[in-house]
Amino acid sequence: MKVLLLILTMLLTLGAIDAIAPQLAVADPIPAQAVNKGRTTTKVVKRSPHSDKIESNGKGMALLFWAFAAATIGGALFVVTRRNLIAAVMGMVGCFLGISAVYMMLYASFLAVIQMLVYAGAIMVLFVFVVMILNRPEDEPVAPTGRAGKALGGLAIVYLVGRLIFMLMKVQPPNPLTAINAPAAVELPGDTVGTIERVDWGSVKAVGWDLFGPGLFVFEAISLLLLIAVVGAIAIARPLHEDQDNQSEPFHPPRDEAAEAAAAAAAAASSGGHA
Amino acid sequence: MSDILFNVGYGHFLVLAAVLFLIGTAGVMIRRNALIILMSVELMLNAANMTLLTFARMWGDLSGHTFALIVIAVAAAEAAVGLAIVVAVFRGRRNVDVDRLTTLRH
Repeated sequence: MKVLLLILTMLLTLGAIDAIAPQLAVADPIPAQAVNKGRTTTKVVKRSPHSDKIESNGKGMALLFWAFAAATIGGALFVVTRRNLIAAVMGMVGCFLGISAVYMMLYASFLAVIQMLVYAGAIMVLFVFVVMILNRPEDEPVAPTGRAGKALGGLAIVYLVGRLIFMLMKVQPPNPLTAINAPAAVELPGDTVGTIERVDWGSVKAVGWDLFGPGLFVFEAISLLLLIAVVGAIAIARPLHEDQDNQSEPFHPPRDEAAEAAAAAAAAASSGGHA
Repeated sequence: MSDILFNVGYGHFLVLAAVLFLIGTAGVMIRRNALIILMSVELMLNAANMTLLTFARMWGDLSGHTFALIVIAVAAAEAAVGLAIVVAVFRGRRNVDVDRLTTLRH
């Protein structure tokens, strides 16, 4: 029953993302004259595919934001509070779906898809596999600290929450009016020299130009890091000896009390004999 | 009040990320299962990612997206190695309770 509810929730989330996605991936078209100044050979070869300028403000979008924020926070709380590991992983998946939708609202469409693929797809499958290996609910999920420790920890968290919210709410955006409106299109060099192509903010092409331009070195470093992580994970998770799995619980033969008593009696007898 | 409710701005995303980060922190501090602790760390990384994307959107700078992508890759590597350690610990001890992993204490 719970599993059915979870699946239903996930399907509803997916449907909602599907419903709002086309309204979100929007770029603000710039007049071609703005691009032309300075260089006479420059011309715009391609307009942004979505130029209908739908913006993600208004009450409906605010309601969607609150809904997905609730899904995110609820999933995160589910992770932290559940004793059943599978339930925690499912809460995590729901949390990631909510985060993905929030990324869409930030016009980060590529990152939203990556979030779904990498986190909700790959990493959570990894977690589910490990849960299958462990498959043992905790005896006592929460660390038993004293009343003073709990009070101190709670106070610290409340202080952190208040402080963070107080600070973040004061963040001054450079241009408050663009807070949630569609961002301006990104201008990239076109296919031929002297042309400019406009692509959506946060699209694959825009992110790719940044990733393979200024971020090329980091990209290569990340590939090396992933290779090292894969080799390291195999090296750590592999048993040290071939038969270690069978010996992980050392074999203690059951005590044979009769034989021990006989041996003790024999020892006593022999020592007594010597005395 | 209705301004906060119906006028979603950058602050909303930042506060959402902060709350997510704090839930992750609480999970790391409170829970004893190493798997749940790893998941809470993932939550914290996601909160940082959300902040990165919000500021990228705020300043109109796409390098925040690149940074978030790299954070996701690092998180994947961290999850792989962390889960391998969890499996190795479980193989030797038959539990993954971090309060009972006291071999390196003293």
